[in-house]
Amino acid sequence: MSDQAERTRRVVIADDDDDIRGLMTIAAKRAGVEIVAAVDNGHAALEAVRGGGVDLVVLDISMPGINGVEVAEAMRADERTQSTLILMVSASVQLLTDHGVVADRADSFLVKPFSPRALSTRIREMLQLDAQRVEESA
Amino acid sequence: MTLDRWLSRIPIDSPSPFMKQVPTIVGFAIAVLIALVPNEIPVSNGLLFAIGSAVVVVASISSFVIPWSRFHPQWAVLVPILSLLAIGLLRIATGGSSSPFGVLILLPFVWIASEEGRINILISAIVILLVLVTPLLFSRLSHSGADFVRAFFAPVIYCLVAVVINEIAHRMRTQLAAARESNEKQETLLSQAVTAQDELVLKEARLKTANRLIQSIWNAVTEQSVIGTDLDGLIDVWNPGAEKMLGLTEKQVLDGHHHVTEFHLPSELAQRIEDMDARFTTVASSDEFSALVDTVRAGSADIRDWTYVRPDGKHVAVQVAATPRLDENGHRVGFIFVATDMTQAREFARLKDEFVGLISHELRTPLSSILGYLELMRDDEDAPLSEEQLQYLSVAERNAHRLLRLVGDLLFTAQVESGRFPLEIKDVELDSVVSASIESARPIARNAGVTLVSDVPEQRLDVRGDPVRLGQAVDNLVSNALKFTPAGGTVTVSLRPDGPQAVIAVTDTGIGIPAVELGRLSQRFFRASTATRNAVPGVGLGLTITKAIVTAHGGRLDIASEEGVGTSISIVLPVETPQPVTEALPQAELAP
Repeated sequence: MSDQAERTRRVVIADDDDDIRGLMTIAAKRAGVEIVAAVDNGHAALEAVRGGGVDLVVLDISMPGINGVEVAEAMRADERTQSTLILMVSASVQLLTDHGVVADRADSFLVKPFSPRALSTRIREMLQLDAQRVEESA
Repeated sequence: MTLDRWLSRIPIDSPSPFMKQVPTIVGFAIAVLIALVPNEIPVSNGLLFAIGSAVVVVASISSFVIPWSRFHPQWAVLVPILSLLAIGLLRIATGGSSSPFGVLILLPFVWIASEEGRINILISAIVILLVLVTPLLFSRLSHSGADFVRAFFAPVIYCLVAVVINEIAHRMRTQLAAARESNEKQETLLSQAVTAQDELVLKEARLKTANRLIQSIWNAVTEQSVIGTDLDGLIDVWNPGAEKMLGLTEKQVLDGHHHVTEFHLPSELAQRIEDMDARFTTVASSDEFSALVDTVRAGSADIRDWTYVRPDGKHVAVQVAATPRLDENGHRVGFIFVATDMTQAREFARLKDEFVGLISHELRTPLSSILGYLELMRDDEDAPLSEEQLQYLSVAERNAHRLLRLVGDLLFTAQVESGRFPLEIKDVELDSVVSASIESARPIARNAGVTLVSDVPEQRLDVRGDPVRLGQAVDNLVSNALKFTPAGGTVTVSLRPDGPQAVIAVTDTGIGIPAVELGRLSQRFFRASTATRNAVPGVGLGLTITKAIVTAHGGRLDIASEEGVGTSISIVLPVETPQPVTEALPQAELAP
């Protein structure tokens, strides 16, 4: 088994709503990951991801400052963060589908309101899939 | 009264028998007066004189008192006949051929001879023969041969005179009739001319009123530009609205050199030409102008969004209705372009979209927290909930989901209204979609005590469409049917092919809908009176959404219902939908 699979996976949570952020954090913890940071704006999210060692970021689209889409664009443009998994979350189905956000920038998406169980499962699946991919490429 | 006016009242052309008798009366009166002078006229036979006088008087009175107009005109000839015979008696009684009464013979004779018809010549001849010859035959006096010759010769002459008089009278009558007819025609023509003149005056007044009205309307249209062109697009009509919208006066534009395409954004015209490709239906003066009027030339009005460009370079977002301009014979002589400034409307639409997006986000976010934390409570293995607590939790979850559905419905309705109604078209196994809706509704049916019957064939029935939206449409119908059916009732969901169509029918034995409300069922927020009366929950969006989905798939919604008996709603879908209908539904469809 590779290091990738053995070590605790690190996740950043970004949502401007305290309650939702708390819910995301609980759901992520239930997926067995380490929460690097749970932030309420795009700048803080980008900063946390750029800090290194982050496997996945749960990113709300509508956030003050720079929004989730801009954070994702910045991550993809940065060599250090371009391989970090992005799970976008939004209350607007239209936002997620209209601009090709998911296809172009994120690895997966979830529509609010989401089930914490579903979020846990999705995080686990994304990380497992990523581990498999890394393993296969190694 | 002047003499002329008095005479004009005498009906000369068709006098009454009395008027015709007047000359005889006058002549008789004069002769009688002469006879009263002693020794002037010897009365040889007093009895005959008395009889003759009496007959003249009777004839004269009868000419006056008898209503001759009720009889055939020929009967009036009796008056002159009697008068003539009476004068004959008077003549015999007063000296025969030398009697002054002999002159009076002419008066009734002329009357008889002048009457219409050749028969009167014969009558006058016979009567005159009687008058002139009889005295000779019955007189006790001796008569010379010359008397007899004269007595028979005179009637012949009278007869000839009668012929002449009758002919002249006939011709005069004919001329008079012709003159009268001509006069009547003239009067008719004059009357018609007067009527025509009156109508002309009336029409002129109406025309002036209509012109003033049109001018008033024309001047009042200041918020819409009306531009008229000839067949080549040269502007020859420019209203105050165009002046206001585009900043040029009528005088500046109507110089015969301004073309309507000058006021359009060139890139839009180019794009339209590209879109139309080779589909120009007629030869146009220019491709740009054809881009504006091609649809109109093909026979229908064209309503399209364009951007006008003012001379100062400012852009005005407009919706232009282009229609043909016709002459009095119905031939097309140009085009009319009526433009409405859409700047504000588009800004409103943008703000509305923003508002809907914001509301959607702001309502979904707290619902996310509510549902998420309720789920965490339910799943907390460290502190498991009691049965009662789980029951309370279910109520909270159910209502949170209800709110969520309402938010989704409102958002979807707004999307439909604005025309942004995304469909992901693919092959859909309609039988699976319908079966899934039935199965997901079974728990609700069970709780409500309603029998849910599935009548879905086992073989596949594919259509082209959006499976999620079609599922939503069927869910709505089944959910409605269950809500409106009391315990013990039945809801049947069937699917069947029907030629090139697929029909999904949801039939219930519920409370039904009054017939007068059926047409309003798919209006936004409309709720049937039976629903409100029976306190059936809902906001009146389900059928609006269902109809929007079905319409977008090129299908239709058929509704039949009877109050107290039940309702049947069918979704009729084309099996092959070549191109989904994604345009906004008309506002009327959605208007509350």
